Amino acid sequence: MSRSDGGSADGSGSDRVPSIARRVVTPFVDRSVAERLLISVAAILLSIAVGFAIVLVSGRVAQCSTAAWTMPVTGLGFCYDPFEVYLVLFNGALGYPFAIGEPGLFDPSWTPFNLSFGLTLSETTLLIFTGLSVAVAFRAGLFNIGTQGQLVVGALATALTVLAAAPFLPEGPVAGAVLIVVGTLAGAVGGGLWGAIPGALKAYADANEVITTIMLNFVAANVAYVLVLEVFRAEGSSVVATRYVPEYAQFLPWLFPQSSDFALLALLVGVGFIAGLYYLVEHTSFGYDLRTSGMQAAAAEYGGVNAKLTTVRAMTLSGAIGGVGGSLWVLMSEGRWMASVPDLGFDGITVSILAGNNPLGVLPAAFLFGLLKGGALEIGFRTDVPTELVGVLRGLIILFVAMPEFFRMFGRYAGIGSSGPGGSGGSESSAANADDDAAVADGGETDA
Amino acid sequence: MRNPLADLTIPVLDDLIESDYVRSLIVGTVGVLGVLLVFGALFPETVVGDLSGIVFSTSTAASTSRLAAPIVLAGLGGIFAEKSGVINIGLEGLLIISAFVSVYVASVVGIGNTVLGVPAIWVGFLGGIAASTALAGVFGVVCIEFKADQIIAGLAVWLIALGLAPFMSTVFFGGVNTPNLGARIGWRYSATMVVVATVASWWALNRTAFGKHLRAAGENPKALDTVGISVSKVRHAGVLLSGVLSGIGGSALALSIGQFIGSGETMVQGKGFIAIVAYLFGNYNPVGTLGAGVLFAGLDATQIRLQQLGYAVPDTLVQTIPYVVVIVVLALVGRTRLPEAAGEHYETED
Amino acid sequence: MNPAVHMDGITKRFPGVVANDDVDLAVERGSVHALLGENGAGKTTLMNVLYGLYEPTEGTVFLDGEPQSFDSPRDAIDAGVGMIHQHFMLVDPMTVWENVVLGNEPKTWGGLRVDEDAAREAVADLSERYGFDVDPDARIEDVSVGVQQRVEILKALYRGADVLILDEPTAVLTPQEVEDLYGVFEELTDQGKTIIFISHKLSEALSAADEITVLRDGVNVGTVASGDVTREDLAQMMVGREVLMDPATTPQEPGERVLEVTDLRADDDRGVEAVSGISFELRAGEVFGVAGVDGNGQSQLVESITGMRDPTEGSITYLGEPMAGESRREHIDRGMAFIPEDRQERGLVMSYDLTENGILGSQHDPPFAENGRLDWRASRDHAESVIEQYDVRPPNADAEAEDLSGGNQQKFIVGREFERDPELVVAMHPTRGVDIGSTEFLHDRLLELRAEGKAVLLISSKLDEVQGLSDRLAVIHEGEFTGVVDPGTVTEEEIGLLMAGERLDDDSVEGAALHDAATDLAGDSGDEEVDA
Repeated sequence: MSRSDGGSADGSGSDRVPSIARRVVTPFVDRSVAERLLISVAAILLSIAVGFAIVLVSGRVAQCSTAAWTMPVTGLGFCYDPFEVYLVLFNGALGYPFAIGEPGLFDPSWTPFNLSFGLTLSETTLLIFTGLSVAVAFRAGLFNIGTQGQLVVGALATALTVLAAAPFLPEGPVAGAVLIVVGTLAGAVGGGLWGAIPGALKAYADANEVITTIMLNFVAANVAYVLVLEVFRAEGSSVVATRYVPEYAQFLPWLFPQSSDFALLALLVGVGFIAGLYYLVEHTSFGYDLRTSGMQAAAAEYGGVNAKLTTVRAMTLSGAIGGVGGSLWVLMSEGRWMASVPDLGFDGITVSILAGNNPLGVLPAAFLFGLLKGGALEIGFRTDVPTELVGVLRGLIILFVAMPEFFRMFGRYAGIGSSGPGGSGGSESSAANADDDAAVADGGETDA
Repeated sequence: MRNPLADLTIPVLDDLIESDYVRSLIVGTVGVLGVLLVFGALFPETVVGDLSGIVFSTSTAASTSRLAAPIVLAGLGGIFAEKSGVINIGLEGLLIISAFVSVYVASVVGIGNTVLGVPAIWVGFLGGIAASTALAGVFGVVCIEFKADQIIAGLAVWLIALGLAPFMSTVFFGGVNTPNLGARIGWRYSATMVVVATVASWWALNRTAFGKHLRAAGENPKALDTVGISVSKVRHAGVLLSGVLSGIGGSALALSIGQFIGSGETMVQGKGFIAIVAYLFGNYNPVGTLGAGVLFAGLDATQIRLQQLGYAVPDTLVQTIPYVVVIVVLALVGRTRLPEAAGEHYETED
Repeated sequence: MNPAVHMDGITKRFPGVVANDDVDLAVERGSVHALLGENGAGKTTLMNVLYGLYEPTEGTVFLDGEPQSFDSPRDAIDAGVGMIHQHFMLVDPMTVWENVVLGNEPKTWGGLRVDEDAAREAVADLSERYGFDVDPDARIEDVSVGVQQRVEILKALYRGADVLILDEPTAVLTPQEVEDLYGVFEELTDQGKTIIFISHKLSEALSAADEITVLRDGVNVGTVASGDVTREDLAQMMVGREVLMDPATTPQEPGERVLEVTDLRADDDRGVEAVSGISFELRAGEVFGVAGVDGNGQSQLVESITGMRDPTEGSITYLGEPMAGESRREHIDRGMAFIPEDRQERGLVMSYDLTENGILGSQHDPPFAENGRLDWRASRDHAESVIEQYDVRPPNADAEAEDLSGGNQQKFIVGREFERDPELVVAMHPTRGVDIGSTEFLHDRLLELRAEGKAVLLISSKLDEVQGLSDRLAVIHEGEFTGVVDPGTVTEEEIGLLMAGERLDDDSVEGAALHDAATDLAGDSGDEEVDA
């Protein structure tokens, strides 16, 4: 937690550590942030390595006429080339900027405004919202597995609101802007209310939010499905979906191809949300209350934070952000609400955990997952490897990020523990408090 | 809240079930079914008659036991894990992986062949159990040895299986759905396994030393540690058992139709989460879990049959009932008391 | 014949602390031995050595003359040593017999079944043999604390313990249960068991033990037979130290009434009454001290006053306004500062830096917040000023709270709370774990506040501290004030007896020696005598 506006200008700091240097260095030496970053990177690398092994093994057992890759030395042939898989995954997700095997490193004809990159950014945009949704709840010490449901409800609210309001406005860009704003608000309200339910249940009935949010995901999916099926289904549609919202009420794909389902403006809105959330969490009294109750509930209570209210507020906010994600899914990607909503909410959990639940970290984490999803399509086009590999990678990343102790143990084993972040944290604090410990050792516990 | 059903005394049940809540659940269910049977017999030409005919027909029993097997078995597994102090929300993933591997192994052996005298389909069954147990073992190591957050690790187990099963299916069979084996396991086998597993689980939890240790590990691990029993070992055992039981459930699910379906949420379709609902609803009692699982599966099976008879039943809404019920139960009754130390890591002092 | 337990020259060092310094202890078979001392005297450390939880730095443990080397409590159990912890190691939803046999269950059916009848019978037999009167089939969560304790003893006996160590066995018991426990002791020793119990209560040691060993600052002050010693002797041995600090309080006329507490009752987290009818008032420019052994209701009293716990009965009036049941926020907003006893749980957010910790409690108030927006520059200036004024090291507002030593954490909390410009300061163990220099500094600051006309409620288990700083001193025991005395004239021995639960108007034989002093004290405290 570094703050850029602290302490450099006043004179008091200058006689100690040079304050400018400290300002630059602090974010990087901040133990928790640096450690999170290291663990996230290590988890990604480990997942890639395990994914590599999976591709190899399955390439060995799968059947094909010619080997795609032959292992050096052993001469074993494999149906899938694991190097190619990752090259296609990451290069393809960007629209092939790198000219593999060509004389130049870069393909000169590449522009960022290509279809593949557009798809990648489209996923990134949606994951920013679901990632932020999970992150906000996490910061308040709440595990919101219900972002998926909040997104479903928000998306439906958006679609229905825009469809209902559209006839009252003359067609055109102004009406479009109004409809987008109104629709997004409706999504926020819908998702917010859906998120408030588990928040209130947690605060006032002590119902575990993990269980209630999982259940509410199913309820949201099923109820929305039935509502659309029975009431709002578009006439003649073969799938369970609402009518399309008017073209002018959808985000326009500036610069990017129409079919990429991506609008730069939406990404900018997402980045704006990141900045806003960051500001809210780090620079407001509400954010302070939220973080403190998530970090150390007893200290928050001591500091006058109303725990119940904070829980409800955090879950409502989390749900509202998830709902806005649903709005964008409707107004940017699909143009309508339809059944089989993608697993954006669950991916949001992975994004948030990968980001260390820090709003600023959500951007790179969402982009990474955008790459995986965009790249998955390319893998399907260009290789024989099943695209479900990306789903496996997703699961592996979340598993590895969940076990920081593994990486700490590994770090200690590899001998970088003493200098590495966090390695010595435990012993430091126990040494500092040795006098207390001894007192406690004799006096029994001090009961609160 | 005073529950009138809790006061009824039933000789056998009283011995088996200590919880008033579980008892009233069972008494209520049996009572409703009894009323249905009576009215169905009295008025055969009405909806009640049809309903009664469906509920008490063999084909409904067959589909109920087929649908209930993964729910009840995974639910029983969830009890073992959670009682030991490890919340396993990855049951869904365990079901998925065992469903796929059972079909895969059976097809590799080849229907009609045997291994050591065991027919292929049953070899596949064991393969599914092994896969699920292995994945549960990984989950256990990650949670107990590496102190991972149990909820996140459980989600990871689900997501990994959700990706891995269709991935493997595509690798081996060229599509997310496997071809049909052309052989399957009859519903009576599923029903028998469910009943046997329920009784065995009940015995293990309530009558064996292991069951006592399991409870202690989840309620007050320090009490167990100070009498010389390793908390980690007990917890690993609990998690592995959740893998074994879920494996039986997942294999039974897939082999009862002879195929693995991997599109969308796969053929498991949230049954692992319903299993959590079932054991919460059954208040960690295997018999209650069986009741809840059969209730949910029976609702689904009945609804399917009603639709076949031409009644317009909102099937999706019927499927939503268990989820809503668990939320209401959590909110109003607050019955489900998690084991005291569930979700917490335990470190020995010496 | 060798003593059942002989600890020879035990020294136990922790980083920076010597918890036991060359302690000898010998306990005869079939006797009850009390280990007496104040909090922090090293009693529990010594017993943890005997129980195999700690390895002694120096010295040897002998059981029946055999030298022992315990790597873990398991070894100690095998050697016949059982420990009954202050916090019971019982599984609440399980029955008595299940808990007793846990880990050593008798089995039948080839191990597939716990032999419940055998287990039940074994527990019933043990229970009967020692006159315990425990129902083997009762659930732990349904039985009283006293019965739970007996289950713990049964657990040890079932595992073949010959030596039983009990850590503060009476701390959680009602007076009647304490009597029952003494009866249990007798039964056990009659049948050859040896008992060592840890206590800081004089009366308990005198009435239950055959021999008493007094520890002070990790050193064995002496072992005496309980028949040969008086209460005064023991108190002297226990306290045995001079008052380090002269009361620097200059007489001062108390101002208007700041806090008035009437008939306050409050429960602890388990729902057991911890504060049982306390009344007092506190005026501006006055320090009101509360002395007492930890766990006698101080925490709940303080939490009720500071808005962190809703009292069950009684009223709290602060600056003329009723406060009982108001939110914590309300208490902060009305200018009540609070130094909590648990600085790492409550007082500081351990992973926050000092800038962030500096506004804990003020996060909604100017100058740190305006329209809901935090001003980190002002917060930082504030933290730096606290760091400077209160000499917090390292002097770095970016340091995280967990990287500070306990003493520096405390100085930062004290500084933050004092700088709030409060009308009332509630300070609980303000100098616990703080070095001597900082302690004096914090004491000076407390007295400065008093001079500025603030009211101070000071709760401490350090006698010299409360005695030296307070204008009036209450002694708390089991949720009640056993007396309110003039700290200038009362002796430490008298306070010690009050802390042990003796009331000043006690007419019992032991109390007679105090009678004269008590009369004097009553005169001194005059109308301040509360709730006798």
